[in-house]
Order: sequence, then C-alpha cells, then structure tokens
Amino acid sequence: MNPIATLTLQADLRYLRIVSIMAGNVAEIFADGANVAEFCHAYELSVSEAFTNSVRYAEPSQKEKQVKICFWSDNGTLTVNIIDKNPQFNPITEAPDINSYPEGGYGLFLIHRLMDKVAYTREDDSNILTMTKQPKITCNNALYY
Amino acid sequence: MNISEKTINNYIILSIQGILNASSAPMLKSYVAGLPDTQSIVVDLENIEFLDSSGLGVLVGIARKKKTSNAVVKLARMNERVKKVFEITQAYTLFDIYDDVSAAAEA
Repeated sequence: MNPIATLTLQADLRYLRIVSIMAGNVAEIFADGANVAEFCHAYELSVSEAFTNSVRYAEPSQKEKQVKICFWSDNGTLTVNIIDKNPQFNPITEAPDINSYPEGGYGLFLIHRLMDKVAYTREDDSNILTMTKQPKITCNNALYY
Repeated sequence: MNISEKTINNYIILSIQGILNASSAPMLKSYVAGLPDTQSIVVDLENIEFLDSSGLGVLVGIARKKKTSNAVVKLARMNERVKKVFEITQAYTLFDIYDDVSAAAEA
C-alpha cells in the first residue's frame, strides 16, 4: 500500500473538524461517479467517530496523548488507520437499543455500517483501527461485456 | 455552531447552524437544559452541515427528557447527511419529523 498522508494530532476534540475535513477531502479523490457525496460522507463521519473515541478513551496518565491518522491507497482503494496508545478495546459493537433512548454507543456501530471493512489490531501498546470502503460503480462507468 | 431561537405557537424553534459534533454537542445540551423541562421544542436541522453520533446522542437525550416531562421535541428539515445518521441508527423512530418548521409547530 502507498501512503498518501499522515496526520498526528493531540487527543483533543477541538481538532475534530480538521480530521473530518481531511478525511472528506482525501475520500473525494477516490470517489467514483454519482456517489461522491455519500462516499465522502462515509469517510468523513467514520474517521470523526474513530478520532472522537480515541480522544475520549485516552488515559489521563498518558504523557503523549496523540492520535495518528494514516491514509493509504491500494489499487485505487482508500484505507485509513486510526492509531492511538489507549487501553485495548473490543471493536465489535451491536446496534444500540434505540427504544431505551441511549445518548451514546453509536460511534463504532456507525463506522461498521458506513464502511465496507473495519479491522482492529493491537500492536505493542497501540490500537490500530483500519477502515476501507469501495466506491460504488454506477451504470455510467461500469464495464459491460 | 450557532443556535437561534424563536417561538411559533407554543413551541420554541431552535435553528442550528454549522457542525453538530462531539466538540459542539455539549453546547446544544446546555442550551436546552436552560429551557423549562415542560417546554416543547422544534429543532430546525436545515443548516446543519455535519452531524455525528455525539450530536445525535444529545438530540436523543433531549427527546428522553422531554418525554418524561410530558413535552415533545420535533425535528424539521433534515438534509440528506443528517437523515443518513438517523436512518442507520433507527433514531428517526424516536421523533416526529417534518418537512417544514411551520407544520411541526402546528401539529
């Protein structure tokens, strides 16, 4: 995979908008045809949710509370890694019970629903959340045989 | 994010402009906490550029609080990006949703 861009930010929600704008703008380069808005929104929202979780679960004792966001391309597919040094977490999430009016618990669920592939790995003392989505091929640019 | 307020019939209309995310959502929560619990409100979402799960969570929290106070919160003028978040989470089932603010304040 080829690196496109890396962004390292303090784990602070004041920088959240920078993250979502960058994700949307990078995604736009990889979007295809009529689904540009939906594709870019998926990256914008998913990367925002992941960054927010990284900020919220940063331990106060951590000296360098930073979140690293890496964008990669692989055969035209955009992959994003969100890397932090927070405690290990369980990335599998079920749909929140909406009838109980939950105020939280939507973030990872949204990510799983918006992206095609979400993977979590723990390497040394780091969490790495990897997200990928394929742009939908529309009728105008699909190949027919 | 900016919040503006006006009254139509017995409803306070809150028009939100800008980004409703984890950074700005506490501002909306504080604003609504400053209104009487029994006050019904309409939230005009037309000018929201971006909504994340934290913004959604605050809206759901407001709905829960209003329900226990026998008041209501209605949503009006959702754009496509906002609608997507409500559809995925099924949160639209918790709200009365209207295409325009006047209709919401009359119903």
